[in-house]
Amino acid sequence: MHFLAPLAFAFAAAIPVVVVFYLLKRKRVVKLVSSTLLWQKFLAETQASAPFQKLRKNWLLILQIILLTLAVLALSRPYFSTKAKPAQRRVVILDASASMQATDEAPSRFEKARAEALKWVDSLKDTDEMVVVLAGPTTEVKQSATSEKAALRRALQGCTCSDGPTRLLPALRMAESLVRDLDPRTGPEVHLFSDGAVPELNEFENKALPLVYHRVGKTSNNLGITALDVRANPEDARERAIYASVANFSPDSQQTDLELLLDERLLETRPLTIPAGETSPQAFRAKQSHDGVVTVRLTTRDDLAVDNQASIVSLLPKPVKVLLVSRGNRLLEKALRSVANVELAGATDLTDPAAGFDFVVLDDVTPSVWPKGNVLAIHVVNTNWFEGVRREEAPPIVDWKSSHPLLRYTGFDNVQVVQTLTARTPSWAVALVETPAAPIILAGELGRQRIIWIGFDILESNWPLRVSFPIFIANAVEWLDPANARSGQLLVKAGDPFRLPLSEPASSAQVTFPGGTTKSLTLDPSANELVFGDTYKSGVYRLRLGTNETVFCVNLLDAAESNIKPRDELQLGKYTKVSATTTKRANMEVWRTIATLGLLVLLAEWWYYHRRTV
Amino acid sequence: MPDALLTPELLRRLEQFQLLAARRAKSSAKGERRSRARGQSVEFADYRTYVHGDDFRYIDWNLYGRLEKLFLKLYEEERELPVRIFLDASESMTFGEPRKFDFARQVAAAIGYVALSGFDRVSVIPFPDLGTDAPAGPATRIAELAARGGLRSVRGKKSAIPFFQNLGTLTAGGTANLNEALRRGALEARQAGVAVVLSDFLDPAGYESGLTALVGRGFQVDLVQILAPDELSPATFGDLRLVDSETGALQEVTFGRLRMKAYRQTVQNFMQRLREYCKARGMNFFTASSNTDLQDLLLKQLRQAEVWG
Repeated sequence: MHFLAPLAFAFAAAIPVVVVFYLLKRKRVVKLVSSTLLWQKFLAETQASAPFQKLRKNWLLILQIILLTLAVLALSRPYFSTKAKPAQRRVVILDASASMQATDEAPSRFEKARAEALKWVDSLKDTDEMVVVLAGPTTEVKQSATSEKAALRRALQGCTCSDGPTRLLPALRMAESLVRDLDPRTGPEVHLFSDGAVPELNEFENKALPLVYHRVGKTSNNLGITALDVRANPEDARERAIYASVANFSPDSQQTDLELLLDERLLETRPLTIPAGETSPQAFRAKQSHDGVVTVRLTTRDDLAVDNQASIVSLLPKPVKVLLVSRGNRLLEKALRSVANVELAGATDLTDPAAGFDFVVLDDVTPSVWPKGNVLAIHVVNTNWFEGVRREEAPPIVDWKSSHPLLRYTGFDNVQVVQTLTARTPSWAVALVETPAAPIILAGELGRQRIIWIGFDILESNWPLRVSFPIFIANAVEWLDPANARSGQLLVKAGDPFRLPLSEPASSAQVTFPGGTTKSLTLDPSANELVFGDTYKSGVYRLRLGTNETVFCVNLLDAAESNIKPRDELQLGKYTKVSATTTKRANMEVWRTIATLGLLVLLAEWWYYHRRTV
Repeated sequence: MPDALLTPELLRRLEQFQLLAARRAKSSAKGERRSRARGQSVEFADYRTYVHGDDFRYIDWNLYGRLEKLFLKLYEEERELPVRIFLDASESMTFGEPRKFDFARQVAAAIGYVALSGFDRVSVIPFPDLGTDAPAGPATRIAELAARGGLRSVRGKKSAIPFFQNLGTLTAGGTANLNEALRRGALEARQAGVAVVLSDFLDPAGYESGLTALVGRGFQVDLVQILAPDELSPATFGDLRLVDSETGALQEVTFGRLRMKAYRQTVQNFMQRLREYCKARGMNFFTASSNTDLQDLLLKQLRQAEVWG
């Protein structure tokens, strides 16, 4: 058996009250009278002695009839409806991003939004349907279309707020698909309960979406850490440099202290005064003797606490061991040596997988044994990598992917190549530099191996003479260094998955959350990467994999989210604007009112009964 | 019990009245009432042929002079009118402020005085009979028995003082049986006359058979129903458990001001039934609250109803 409104069982508390009324014994006053004859006649005349009597005007009777009528009316659960409409569908999107944790609305914006949404559930007609969508870092349908209010309430109660940024776009797209095929005459509605602190929605273009925006939030008193990075100090390799950005989203200037901690140990406190709307970049220098977690913390209390602290894993730099397999290429060797912290070794051939090196550079040498680690392969063909290798003479370079980290600060507009190998882009790689026919530089990850493939011999081009070459080599060293790859992965935005390449198969892992709770993960032994998605809370996570422990940090670090100023308008695409609505609940069942009336009638009856006897 | 049942002023006014009996007196004793019996009086009744042995004094000599036949002039015999006053002395009569019993004794005294003034025989019959378990003690019981005996047959205006004294000695108590008392009174009476019933008529067994017996015996019946003010409109409200003073019966009732009207209607219905019953049988019916003015009842109501005149 199911109950639509199990809360109604609270009315059972009235039963003891009734029993108490009956426990109250009527205390009769004993009185000696001359004769009870007249009283007997009086009672006989006023009370029903026969099975039926003439219906007399009796207020008690009238009140009880009214009471009964009201009770029956309430049980029939009436509501007002002007026209018989088909089922209306409402999609409720509940913003569960970090900014909804702001406490300018008591107890928080999220709770306020949830309470508002629950009111809309109450106002739902029996035939109407509602969908509950939770829009946090991921979009989640908490409850598919149903008219069961208990299920909708349960779904809303089960929603929790995350520490991550809002991804409103997928939520709106989902809502769009939920209402797209419905008859517009039924008036489907999409209700967004949000503070409007969302990224730009320029990509979303739907004028017809019946979006109703319920704004929560009042003020925007917030300071937030919006960026954090740690690097080796370029001026002193023994020190670490920590970069942090603190933004003030409050309407007035704010003072705060910024604390720097290493493994929970306070290193430095720096007082800051940030004008309204400004961002203050801060750089710290700290000596570090071992790998640890660097935390920056704001001491002021503001409306949003989640962005007042950010952590990052700081790993001590290790020398990059590079094996150059070459028949002699001074330009390449010089470019590699110029990169800081590189220990270069040379060889003419490779007879083992070169496990002791961070990566191997194959310069126009096909090795006897292919290395297992990362590879920068120049003018070398490995048939396991791709097929369809062709030779091309003096190809023009027409395009390069400057957004790729390998091509940062590089350009190929003045590079000419005499001849080159070209290959069709395999599925594991992206083309970095392309000729009209095929790419000549590829990069990607095959298995657990990072590979950069350059199709031409650099000595048969003018590239080594260009500025872009040493920069590219420096970028390549950074990209191929496994330690760099790891440290980049150890900083995760809340809601984003944490990825860890697995050097060897594992079947289980254990994650310790910031609060101290642990969770066991079961891994697919054939997987070469661990993906952990439950990163909705910011803080330091510890992942135990066999005997190794990996520490990674989850932070908000999102200026759009830290700017908790409630927006009165949402810009959808270029042309659509949605203003915050002031509409509250639309319709409401009237049985509560009727029940209240019934209670009043009951009280009136009780009063009348007592008045009669006094 | 007031010192004097009736004030001298009231007594003086009552002296002017005489009980009006619709029926001829049937008493055997001489009195001042017209009767069917022929005897000595000043009221001529009829002629009759002289027979041997008749008293010469009654021969109408004028008629003899004209007709030369002897006729005897007959006169109506004036006889006394027996007045029986049935006085309810049950427990229920002790209620009311003033007590119903006191009021009833005053009415009895007034009727008795009028009757005595008219040379009629007065009998006051209190009922119920005095029980053996009278609460007041043996001395009072003896005095009470003496008073009841003294009230059984009173005649002559000079007996008015002891009559009043005896009435004042009476006490009320016990459970009344109105029907039985009236039936017995009807049977005991040697001659019918005027019967006055003073009671509240609140007898669960009713009053019909007793009154029928009186009427059947030939009495001219006058009824005075005496009710206490509290019985006409009760002043106690709420959830009550009522105890009957005579039977001890319990009656639970919930009563409030809003039901007062219904209660009064009940009382009116009860009196109306009694009134209609009396009217159908030629009885005079009066009702009085024990706090009403005695003079109003005696000098107006009874006079208008031609109980006396």
